[in-house]
Amino acid sequence: MKDKIKIFLESDLLEKYLLGATSAIETARVERYIVMYPEVRKQFEELQENLEIYAKMHAIPTPDGLKAKIFHRIRKQDLGRRKVRRFAIAASIAAFLFAGSSYFFWNQNMNLQDENTMVNNRIQNLEADMKQQLEDVRNQFIVLNNPQTKKYLVNGNEKARELKAVAYVNPVKKLSYINVRNLPNLPEDQCYQMWAEVNGDMVNLGIIKSIEDKDKLLPLPYGKNAISYITIEPMGGNPSPTVQNIVANISY
Amino acid sequence: MPPGYFLISHPAMSILLEKHIVELLQERNEKAISLLYDHYGDTLYGVAFKVVRDEELAQDVVQESFVKIWKKSDTYDPSKAKLFTWLFRIIRNTAIDKLRSVQTKSDKEIQLDVSNVYNLGIDAIRPEFMDVRENLEKIEHKYQVVLDALFFQGMTQQEASDELDIPLGTIKSRLKIGLRELGKIYGSTLMMLILLILK
Repeated sequence: MKDKIKIFLESDLLEKYLLGATSAIETARVERYIVMYPEVRKQFEELQENLEIYAKMHAIPTPDGLKAKIFHRIRKQDLGRRKVRRFAIAASIAAFLFAGSSYFFWNQNMNLQDENTMVNNRIQNLEADMKQQLEDVRNQFIVLNNPQTKKYLVNGNEKARELKAVAYVNPVKKLSYINVRNLPNLPEDQCYQMWAEVNGDMVNLGIIKSIEDKDKLLPLPYGKNAISYITIEPMGGNPSPTVQNIVANISY
Repeated sequence: MPPGYFLISHPAMSILLEKHIVELLQERNEKAISLLYDHYGDTLYGVAFKVVRDEELAQDVVQESFVKIWKKSDTYDPSKAKLFTWLFRIIRNTAIDKLRSVQTKSDKEIQLDVSNVYNLGIDAIRPEFMDVRENLEKIEHKYQVVLDALFFQGMTQQEASDELDIPLGTIKSRLKIGLRELGKIYGSTLMMLILLILK
């Protein structure tokens, strides 16, 4: 270890380092030695002291005006730096604005895309609905126009005398429809509900909304010797028909 | 002898001053440059002149160096080197670069002749520099040549040995003895100054 320090001190690395003439690797090595070994540190301290003394011996009074020249150059340089900084600030603001507007437009584009998808879906749904409705109308037309279609007039019993309905049944096509023409008004907490008994099963056909369903043909499930009922049920419908409240029935 | 000269020469005072200047540099206060110039300007100008051997060039070197000092003030690390060492490195390297770029005097023989430099600059020397100049004369010429080659001409010990035709071992010992002599001379001057002031 001692030898290592001796060899180091005998080389001129420390002197070179003192004068700032070492390479990056040499600098790292010297700085490591200075930190690690007190002998080297002491030697370096002495070298620094002596360099300062020796340099001071060569001092020459500076010429007048040199200090002013130095300050002039330093201020000019600082001004330049400040300009660069101002430019940098302006550039960052511009970049920020650009980023902001880019995000805004990107966001808008995404929204428009979403909207576009939504509109397309709606169009497709409408198309499907339209096809479905057209199909329904065609079926209705077939049933109504078919010579084999039987037409049944339905009248309400004593509980609803004004009830008028027409049922159309085609046994060949196995299709049946009902058109409720008139329904007597009910208290607000009651409604009409349709049922069909097909092959021994009671099927709930839903609530008849008197006004809107007036001109509509409601499909009925087809079955041999089926019976359809209209009952008065509490508002909102019932899972099973209330037999004593039957106002009309159609056998077909 | 102005009282300030003694104050700055005193090691404790110069340490305080150094600390103050370093703080100002780190704050990027222009006062740092003013203080540096007032306390090290003459020495740095002398070093620059010693390397480039031309007053105009030396002034350019000092100007450029101070701009570098101001620009690089945040790179100075007081734990690694004394302030003067850092300043010396900047002025020396700037001066050597300047000399290389101008290439006015490439003949190293002339540069190594120490006495010429002082004959050139002697009129400019103020009385307060006279005693340090005397001190310089106290150092034997053979040591001076070695110190100058290493400190001002940017030579390595090997290069100095080749250039001056002195064995490497002698260069090493002259450098070490020369530096020791410096310490001795400086020490005695300081003692003398203290005695003078106390009287």
